Amino acid sequence: MSAHQHYNLLLVLLSYVISVLGSFTALQLAVLIPLARTSQQRIAAVLAAGAAMGVGAIWAMHFIAMLACDMGMPVSYDPLLTALSAVIAFAACSLGLSIASSGAFSWAKLAAAGICMGLGVTSMHYLGMAAVIMGAYTSYDMNLVATSMLIAIVASVVALWLAFNLRGPLQMIGSALVMGLAVCGMHYTGMAAFNIDENGGQAPAGVAGGMRGDNLGATIFVVTLVLLIGALIIHYKRQQRRAAISI
Amino acid sequence: MIELEIQILSDRREGLLVELGRVVVASGFTLLRQRVYQDSQGAWLVMVVRGEVERQLGLEELLATHNRVLSFEATLLAPGAAAPVGVAPLPVPRAPNGATNGSPPSLAAVGPDVSKVETVLPQLARDYPKIFPWLLALEHEVAAEAREASLLLAGRRTGIWVYKRDYEMGGKLGLIDSIKRIASPALRALVTVDVRERHVHIQNCPLCPPGGHSGCKFFSGFLEGMLGASAAPQTVFVRNVHCRSHSSGAGDCILEVSH
Repeated sequence: MSAHQHYNLLLVLLSYVISVLGSFTALQLAVLIPLARTSQQRIAAVLAAGAAMGVGAIWAMHFIAMLACDMGMPVSYDPLLTALSAVIAFAACSLGLSIASSGAFSWAKLAAAGICMGLGVTSMHYLGMAAVIMGAYTSYDMNLVATSMLIAIVASVVALWLAFNLRGPLQMIGSALVMGLAVCGMHYTGMAAFNIDENGGQAPAGVAGGMRGDNLGATIFVVTLVLLIGALIIHYKRQQRRAAISI
Repeated sequence: MIELEIQILSDRREGLLVELGRVVVASGFTLLRQRVYQDSQGAWLVMVVRGEVERQLGLEELLATHNRVLSFEATLLAPGAAAPVGVAPLPVPRAPNGATNGSPPSLAAVGPDVSKVETVLPQLARDYPKIFPWLLALEHEVAAEAREASLLLAGRRTGIWVYKRDYEMGGKLGLIDSIKRIASPALRALVTVDVRERHVHIQNCPLCPPGGHSGCKFFSGFLEGMLGASAAPQTVFVRNVHCRSHSSGAGDCILEVSH
């Protein structure tokens, strides 16, 4: 039952910080996409933004939140499904940001991009949960699953609207805070939908070959470091560009 | 007909002449001579073009908003100063500064005093948003006939510059959204404004004192430059509905923006 889940609040807070940092880096890269002068530049900007969002804001957040969650038994992760969840988040976010940043703004485009991003967040989460290897029977409350998906889509639409339609601090900070809410809101609602039932302590096959929290911690540290460096580079490049523009 | 020498700085050389040559031709100008070279700042394209004076502002706006252009400077060549096509390396002689100082009167009478505007633009960039002393000085320095066109040009160039500097990152917006989210905060850095859809009310415009001469031209140009660069589609017109300088200082200056 979900009552078996206990959270380390510090790590929960850290998961939100990481999702905001990843969203900030991703969205600030994304708003540069319309300024790309060649298709190569555009593709590079889309992939960089998609990676920051998919792997940084969503994937890293998810696994910090999983480390924050004590399920009362040892847990490991299937490496293949864990890697696949990152790839799906990256692909969905790249597609969503590419749609949102193409041509003039339209509500249809915003909705399509928001759905892509929202489904990317949701797919990553549930694939990440499918990677969980633990000695218990698991099931989902489908109403909460649907709610988590709705939260991800709606908050993604709002975040993209803020990022591409506003200018100034609200664009930069507001969009990242809202996207962080999209990712965390989806995740923790999804976790509330996750039910655990004892199976009598039978360890499932593959538990020995699964990744433990320690392995994930190192990966998450690297991802976080890359995000921080990315955010700093964006800031530096932006200052440089601003100074170079002559009247 | 006028001849302009246009110096353009871009980040790379490839295709620069082709892309900007098309802009020149599309604006109704003829490309007389050109030179492309590279230095530590980037790739430079210097063109001498000939065309109707009425089309000059349009050409400058297209160049200023072109994605290959980092910066540019257009200088009016003195009549007869330009060498024949394909001859003589650049730089070419420029028109003497100050149309008000005597020559060339025929050009100054119909267009902006480009050299005066070009002189003041770096000061505007340096002191922005505290730019009104420079604009008032410009207003007094240029000939009466060139005043409005000069302020319009200064406004356009400033508007485009502010857009590129502070508001370019993000999606292309429609006109109303551009007015609300880009022009409105940009104008608020300069003056007190009240924006109502397509109408911009400027309170106590410092460039339009009672009996003043600008006719809100700087702000018209500022909006045209900024919105032309930001809104989709890019052709934006600004009409002066009311100027307080024409009514003994009463009321707001009102500008109407349209496609």
